[in-house]
Amino acid sequence: MPGAPARQKTARCPRSIGEDAGDMDLSAIGSQLLVGLSRSMILFIISSGLSLVLGVLRVPNFAHGSLYMLGAFTAFTVATALGGGPGGFWWAVALAPLVVAGICLLVERGLLQAIYHREHLMQMLLTYALVLIFSDLVKLIWGVEYKSLMPPPALTGAFTFLGTSFPRYSLFLLIVGPLVAVALWLFLNRTRLGKICRATATDREMVDALGINSKWVFAAVFVLGGWLAGLGGVFMAPTVNIVLGMDHSIIISAFLIVVVGGLGNVWGALVSALIFGVGESFGVLFWPRFAIVFPFLIAAVLLIIRPSGLLKSVW
Amino acid sequence: MRVERVAKSFNGFKAVDGANLTVEKGQVVAVIGPNGAGKTTLFNLITGHLRPDAGRITFKGEEIAGLPAHRICHKGIARSFQLINIFPRLTVFQNVQVSVLARAGKSGDLFRPVKKMATEETMAILKQVGLAAQANRVSGSLSYGDQKVLEIAIALGNRPELLLLDEPTAGMSPEETAATIALVDHLARSQGLTILFTEHDLDVVFSIAQKIMVMHQGRSIAEGKPDEVRANEEVQRAYLGETA
Amino acid sequence: MRPQPVRPTVEKDATLKRSALLPVAAAFLVLLVLPSFIPSYYVYLFTLIYITALLATSLNFCLGYGGLLQLHHAVFYGLGAYTVAITAVRTSLPLWCGLLLGPLVAAAIGWVMGWFCVRLRGLYFGMLMLALGQLVWTVVYRWYEFTGGDDGIHGLSMPPLIDSLTGCYYLTLVVFFVCLGIMYLMVNSPFGVTLQATRDNPVRSESIGINIRRHQLASFVIAAFFAGVAGVLFVVLERSVSPALLFWSKSAEVLIMCLLGGMSTFLGPSLGAAAVVVLSTVIGIHTEYWLIVLGVILLVLVLFLPQGILGYLEERIGSGRGLKGASEDYVEG
Repeated sequence: MPGAPARQKTARCPRSIGEDAGDMDLSAIGSQLLVGLSRSMILFIISSGLSLVLGVLRVPNFAHGSLYMLGAFTAFTVATALGGGPGGFWWAVALAPLVVAGICLLVERGLLQAIYHREHLMQMLLTYALVLIFSDLVKLIWGVEYKSLMPPPALTGAFTFLGTSFPRYSLFLLIVGPLVAVALWLFLNRTRLGKICRATATDREMVDALGINSKWVFAAVFVLGGWLAGLGGVFMAPTVNIVLGMDHSIIISAFLIVVVGGLGNVWGALVSALIFGVGESFGVLFWPRFAIVFPFLIAAVLLIIRPSGLLKSVW
Repeated sequence: MRVERVAKSFNGFKAVDGANLTVEKGQVVAVIGPNGAGKTTLFNLITGHLRPDAGRITFKGEEIAGLPAHRICHKGIARSFQLINIFPRLTVFQNVQVSVLARAGKSGDLFRPVKKMATEETMAILKQVGLAAQANRVSGSLSYGDQKVLEIAIALGNRPELLLLDEPTAGMSPEETAATIALVDHLARSQGLTILFTEHDLDVVFSIAQKIMVMHQGRSIAEGKPDEVRANEEVQRAYLGETA
Repeated sequence: MRPQPVRPTVEKDATLKRSALLPVAAAFLVLLVLPSFIPSYYVYLFTLIYITALLATSLNFCLGYGGLLQLHHAVFYGLGAYTVAITAVRTSLPLWCGLLLGPLVAAAIGWVMGWFCVRLRGLYFGMLMLALGQLVWTVVYRWYEFTGGDDGIHGLSMPPLIDSLTGCYYLTLVVFFVCLGIMYLMVNSPFGVTLQATRDNPVRSESIGINIRRHQLASFVIAAFFAGVAGVLFVVLERSVSPALLFWSKSAEVLIMCLLGGMSTFLGPSLGAAAVVVLSTVIGIHTEYWLIVLGVILLVLVLFLPQGILGYLEERIGSGRGLKGASEDYVEG
């Protein structure tokens, strides 16, 4: 695939302070921790969607990264269509994930439901076909230039605490991430659909036997997963260049987070997203040039010592 | 082979809890017991698919408990499975050939054409079990009964001294069952093979077993000649308790 | 009674047999004289096809025959290529050392990665391989002093014999035939049949005395070695390397080739590689949206032709012999 590696840079948080990493004082560590945690939050939002789809549908969805990319590009379009005003970001947060969710509904009904009984390799290849198609569609619609999305004025700039400056947007993510986690918890534990999802993940035959139409459960989960990917895309957008190929760099991380956390276990995804995000940002602090090695290193080590994931896998 | 006080539990459930069994060379021994008595688990412990929590398993005086399955196999213990467990995309011939090659220590041979290797022994086994005519078929396309027989043929490819058969006739028609029993009987008599098997059908058990061990709730509750076992009160209670 | 000859399950009649050596020799001779009759651009294209076909066949060795969910095979392709380039620009060793070292380095690193991977099953295996592969990629991508970073290494010079395009063509052609021949022998050796047995049924394999991990590791390393050979040939052709060679999407591309040609056949991956190389070139002339075409092809393949082109043809020829759609159940969940 052309030029994929050149895109990796874009997914890194430009607000990291890798430049002055040599100066390792407490404030640097503090702000780097915040950056890492905020990145963890986005990673969690994205990979929780992937984890849900894996747990309930049993489909390793490589197109999840593309959905994230679509979310970011749609956010750009929404914000631009509204004249780039301060409200644009909030409209993007509201609308872009819904657009992605709509696309997911079409994909699930049109394609995915035909391959639930197939083995993983075929499922991966089908979703990889979607990666290719979405990637060219994005190129067709938005072109190859970098796009950017401004966060609203209230979230730009930094504030100073104990002599250290923290980016406001990172703090915002630190609030949003736990909110999403709590909402997911409420959904999975307090709603009927959520309970059915959990039941389906652990024992599909049982759910079928109870007369629940798993067809629509699957569709709903895939739509929810896509919505989360889109949401992750919107939240990531102000911190990176929105560009073709951002899907390629995120999807492997998302998969590793899900697998390391325990397949299909949303809380495992939260734990490993924290490890990944913080691990990478501390990597920036100690060894800036090879910081992006850390997530893969962590994933490999964790997979080797705990092959079935940190938390209990639903498989 | 001796099994002494072997135990295995899964998440606190004691699947096998103090099983004892002695099998002499050349004997045909049956393990019977109600569903869930731990027969298959006992087999898995003997063949190394599971590691026992406690107890000793010795074969020809050698401790084998806890060894990996492929090592135990090389010591001369082979088994067939209750559920069909063959190589569905290989031909019938290759199914057995793979097993013969593994026993001969040739599985790692990288460059010799496999078509010319171990053909006679493989065909001999297929003839013995009556699958010679189907040798070139893809094994996944065989009938259920033939796949069960192929199960045994694969185990024979290891040229075992002790052969474990886990419900060799499960799911078979009466004719197939009769043929399979005749085959097992023939193997024991003509080759002096030691056979340990589990079976639901008690008629089958009493017709060919020289010795019977009864398991109930993971324990061996009786071991002896068929007549002795038939007369054993505890055995009757275990079975009646199950069916009543 | 003489045993009847046995058809190996997976390659059946469509590929080489002793009696079929003649067509192979004929094909070799035709390809040998080919450069005299076609424009040099096509010579280049053919060379690229041999290289890619070798890469795809090596992947299929552990994927189609061993049932390993190898999701990042391109790593070994890249390692082979980078070994040549780095030997050329960072050491004073003669270039041929690099050419020989390439596959060895790929196999050695393959051994280390494989040693960990074969302890896991199914999707976990694939994910660990992805993690390790991307680990190698990031190191290559970032280590400017040693690997040239994201720029890669360009402008290598080759020894006189293989400096010209025709020279490179002949080298690639011969190496391609030799490597496929060796892999064919391996697939039809006791090792190969045993490997297919471990793919079909790991539990049973172990109970008939096969050390599954050792077999899987061996197939993994052999596949890595031949991918390394392909990587070396790639450098000879292109005289440059870049991190894209070992990015994960490259691995996905190779997987598609295997699927397209047919993973249950020996020559399928080569056919798939040729098809992808030719299509990407032809379609690339007319549109910049080649990926969408590839994506649609892939969709159609997965949904309607999972056994691949050669697999489908064999099924048609072999129908009535109890053959089944092969690609459905070779990788355990």
